[in-house]
Amino acid sequence: MRKVLVYLSAALIGTGIGAWSALDMAGLIAGDRRTGAGIDIGGWVGDLSVGSADADPYLRARIARHGLLALAKSEAIYFTRDRDDAGTPFSEQCRYRLSGEGQPALWWSITLYDDRSFLPDNTDGALSFDASGADGKPWSVTISPARPADGSPWISSRNAGRFDLTMRIYVPDAGVLERPAEMIHPPKVEKLDCAGGAG
Amino acid sequence: MNKWLAPLLVALVCAAASHAAVLHFAPSVIMGRALDKMAARGTPVNGFSLGPRTTPQTQTVVRPSPDMAYSACLFDLAKAPRGLRVRMNATPGYASLSFFDARTNNFLTVRGNGETREVILLPPGSSTTVPDTAVAPSTTGVILIRRLAPTAQDYAKVTELAREDGCDAI
Repeated sequence: MRKVLVYLSAALIGTGIGAWSALDMAGLIAGDRRTGAGIDIGGWVGDLSVGSADADPYLRARIARHGLLALAKSEAIYFTRDRDDAGTPFSEQCRYRLSGEGQPALWWSITLYDDRSFLPDNTDGALSFDASGADGKPWSVTISPARPADGSPWISSRNAGRFDLTMRIYVPDAGVLERPAEMIHPPKVEKLDCAGGAG
Repeated sequence: MNKWLAPLLVALVCAAASHAAVLHFAPSVIMGRALDKMAARGTPVNGFSLGPRTTPQTQTVVRPSPDMAYSACLFDLAKAPRGLRVRMNATPGYASLSFFDARTNNFLTVRGNGETREVILLPPGSSTTVPDTAVAPSTTGVILIRRLAPTAQDYAKVTELAREDGCDAI
């Protein structure tokens, strides 16, 4: 009887550890919400095997949880960023300046998501910034929980908690998939200030 | 020490098996739940429906793009044994027709380039050499039309175009 209990315990503990490690390594539990870890361009992390049958099991599970129905790289590539230029995780308690230039693609956008990978629960109508707002020139956008008083371009982080940003690049130009680090221009994210001196 | 070796091996085998099982089943479980959620919100089986403009209040899957208008067709080839005729109406600007199987693989994408696109989707196990025809890796999945529509005015234009989309049993 004692032997049975030992083996049963071993089986249960092993099963639990195996399942938990898979959930954690594939980003299926709270924590790392990045949709890939293949390449890092200026703090923007992506994986060009997203949407592909060639994606490894960990990436496939990660994408199922945080980027379901993502397109394969021939159509769109995705990058995620969850911290500012100083390496501090994003927070709706702080304001940021997101800035950059155009991308080598038909169209691009940057969208803010909350810590559950959903659009934040607000009605501010300021969920993203895209190529049409940049109009081919260097651009700058404020990320904050309140609309800037001067009416400048804005992405709302209200009710987003510990949010992250996803950059979508649709129909990348020739050469981007082969030399992404050379051709993609990673936007910068500078923290401006935080409420109550936090962060 | 020896008396613990066998239980340790049991633990390791169980850990490896459960680790592999979670990775193997997670995508299809998550996809299955997403398809159920979409069906519950009215996405038709073997028919396209244009979703409402994407907002925090209307989103159904993780990380939707608020700049795209999405039309979705939940395909079930058990109900269309001869296949589906899938049609995306011509659209100015960016539009794509993408097919996802039950394990989340994006097995086909067709870009609009301003023209109407049509694909015949055949059940798993079929064979074909006919152009604009694809064999689905699974019996069920989802077909998405994405159209660039960052503003409410753009979305209103898409509403008209999407009336001519089709996802019909042959």
